[in-house]
Amino acid sequence: MSPAAELVCVVDDDESVRRGLRRLLKSAGYTAETFSSAEEYLAREIFQGALCLLLDVRMPGLKGPALQEALEERGTCEQIVFITGHGDVPTATRAMKKGAVDFLTKPFDGEELIQAVKRALKRSEERLRNRGERLKARSRVEKLTPREFEVLRFVVMGLLNKQIAAELHTAEKTVKVHRGRVMQKLGVTSVADLVRISQWAGVSPARKRA
Amino acid sequence: MILCWFISNSCEALIGAGCVRYLIDRPVRFDRLGNVGIFIFFAAFLGPFLSSFVDAAFVAINHFGGDSYWQVWRIRFTSNILAALTLVPLIVTWVGDGIAWLWKIRQARFLEAAFLLGALLSVNTIVFYKLGPSADSALLCLPVPFLIWAAVRFGSRGASGAICTLTFLAIWSAGHGYGPFSTRSAEENALSIQMFLIVMSVPLLLLAAVIEERGKGAMTLREREDRISLAAESANLAFWSINFERKESWMSDKGRAIFNFGPDEALSRELFLSRVHPEDRNAVDEAIEQARASSQTFEFEYRLLRPDGETRWLISRGRYVRDDRGGIRELIGVAIDITEQVEADLQLRLQREEMARMSRVSSMGELTASLAHELNQPLTAIASNAAAGRRLLAQGPPDAKIFEELLADVATDARRAGDIIHGIHHFVRKSEGRRCPVNLNEIVQEVLRLLHSDLLGRATPVETQLAPNLPSVDANPVHLQQVLLNLVMNSLEAMQSTPIGKRRIVISTTCEDSSSVLVTVRDYGSGLPKEDLDKVFNHFYSTKPNGMGMGLTIVRSIVEAHGGKLNAENSDEGARFFFRLPVKPKSETPEVI
Repeated sequence: MSPAAELVCVVDDDESVRRGLRRLLKSAGYTAETFSSAEEYLAREIFQGALCLLLDVRMPGLKGPALQEALEERGTCEQIVFITGHGDVPTATRAMKKGAVDFLTKPFDGEELIQAVKRALKRSEERLRNRGERLKARSRVEKLTPREFEVLRFVVMGLLNKQIAAELHTAEKTVKVHRGRVMQKLGVTSVADLVRISQWAGVSPARKRA
Repeated sequence: MILCWFISNSCEALIGAGCVRYLIDRPVRFDRLGNVGIFIFFAAFLGPFLSSFVDAAFVAINHFGGDSYWQVWRIRFTSNILAALTLVPLIVTWVGDGIAWLWKIRQARFLEAAFLLGALLSVNTIVFYKLGPSADSALLCLPVPFLIWAAVRFGSRGASGAICTLTFLAIWSAGHGYGPFSTRSAEENALSIQMFLIVMSVPLLLLAAVIEERGKGAMTLREREDRISLAAESANLAFWSINFERKESWMSDKGRAIFNFGPDEALSRELFLSRVHPEDRNAVDEAIEQARASSQTFEFEYRLLRPDGETRWLISRGRYVRDDRGGIRELIGVAIDITEQVEADLQLRLQREEMARMSRVSSMGELTASLAHELNQPLTAIASNAAAGRRLLAQGPPDAKIFEELLADVATDARRAGDIIHGIHHFVRKSEGRRCPVNLNEIVQEVLRLLHSDLLGRATPVETQLAPNLPSVDANPVHLQQVLLNLVMNSLEAMQSTPIGKRRIVISTTCEDSSSVLVTVRDYGSGLPKEDLDKVFNHFYSTKPNGMGMGLTIVRSIVEAHGGKLNAENSDEGARFFFRLPVKPKSETPEVI
């Protein structure tokens, strides 16, 4: 993976901390950017690669946890490592439940931080990849004709060709042709792959008539 | 005729008693010269004088006896004078106040009185009874020494008693045809004996009065002195005077004890100055010199260093007294030992100082979490830089420039951490009580630095409106920090239920007419309870559930110790606390608070 696809952002109101962390991250080979407030970070254009966010809890203006919520709504892939001046257990628990990678109490060991950053970037990258798969699957599913899509929904339900034909009031042979086209268009060879790609694309199985 | 006598004698008694009562304040006694004079003139002379006319007229009207009007008048007049002079003083002095005094007489005095009575009786008996009519008339003066003895030693009681003895024996002897007043006709004898006794008794009564008066005066003076010295002792007062004309000096016993002077040591300015603490000596000497030149009263407070090594605090007040020609005659004064007071004040100040310190410690306690956070920032930076340095070293030969920067950052952060700790230590340690010129703007900044994290945690922005070119005030910086810290923390507490967006503190400094500085801390919180606006500064008053109620009390006592005043008021939303400090405070005791 190229270095440009990875970024670590530091959001802390204390300049010394920002300088120290930037230096540490650079020495570990990461690209680092620093921000003095949550608002400043939100103003940055959305980064498309894997992103780790080192976020201070207590800041003037928007606090760390509030930024976490805002980012969740935005639906971006950054993974958050909280850094805080005092170990406030309820805040930490809430942050972890909402998907933070780690919660480090200042002053922390530099290596500990690097490990947390590494984990965060890995998770961010995974998430990014998953999202890529989903997008691909969806675009393929979109290429299907309405009839083909209908057949797909019944296949995913686990019906046989004969049963599908009965459901659609058509010939078994016709269903067989549609099914072949679906397999071809989605680029899969087995029913198992067909089911997985349908899930990624968010295809809901058809409902059997009573 | 008896009725007539009753009328005329009552007339005499009324005139005498009326005048005496009118002129003398009650009770009537024979212990004052004025009283005795009034009695002799009005009761013993004027009364008989006037009533004798009436008396003689009655005798003439009733054709009683064969004497002429003027003869009767003269006999009545002299005999009534004598009766008034002898019997009235005897009755008034002996039983006027009851006779309880008789049982209180000491034995020695009783014996003296008995001896005197014996002597009087025998001398009078010899003079008026034993001696024949041909005896030398100078012998009539023989009782005089004993009469004077009675007057001098026993006052008006003795005098009246002696006069009565004399009168009784003289009249009795004459009546029985003995002694010097038995040679002529009965009327002539009576007249001469009456004249003799009147002449003897008037001076004697006056003498007795003079002697008693002086005795009383001496007693009053002694009582007054006793009272003054009692007051002097109980108030730790020293009275003293130096008379330059007579080259005499005097100081009360208590004063000599305070100054540690010997009982007969002569006072002088030099002696006094030698006892004054060397550090105060010049100032005291100057004050005296100034008083001498201006003839004004001097007053100064100073320390006394006594030969026994003890230091005492005194206030002296005195004045030079000048004679008619303007020359200095006397130096008089009073000194008050205020050592106990000064020590009590000092004790109180120390207690207050300790209380203020405890309050600072507790403020810091409330801020521990915030201060830890504040301290963790530079420590985090240092730890990160150290880790970065190790990684850079592991990657091969380091870039000198990068390392230089890294180490500079580490040094800066270490200093910052040190400053925070120093600030806390400075704030919490015992105050030295030193005052120095303080810029209140700097105090505001320092306090905001201490509170930085707490303010962040409570999401409360602080706005400052600091006047440029603020004159500095003479103050104890730590105490002023405490004042501001407490006020800001108070504001933070008050805004706990204020929605986050509306929380705000405004601190302003203003220079008021170049003589005082005004500092205001305004919050947008719940405000002060209206009915308790005056109570917020009281001891143990608190609206907080777990508040001690000491914070604002201490704050106010600090402000007042700096010659300032702290007030509180409600504004449209929230409360406003403000205090003024004089740019140049009035002379204060050196120890703060």
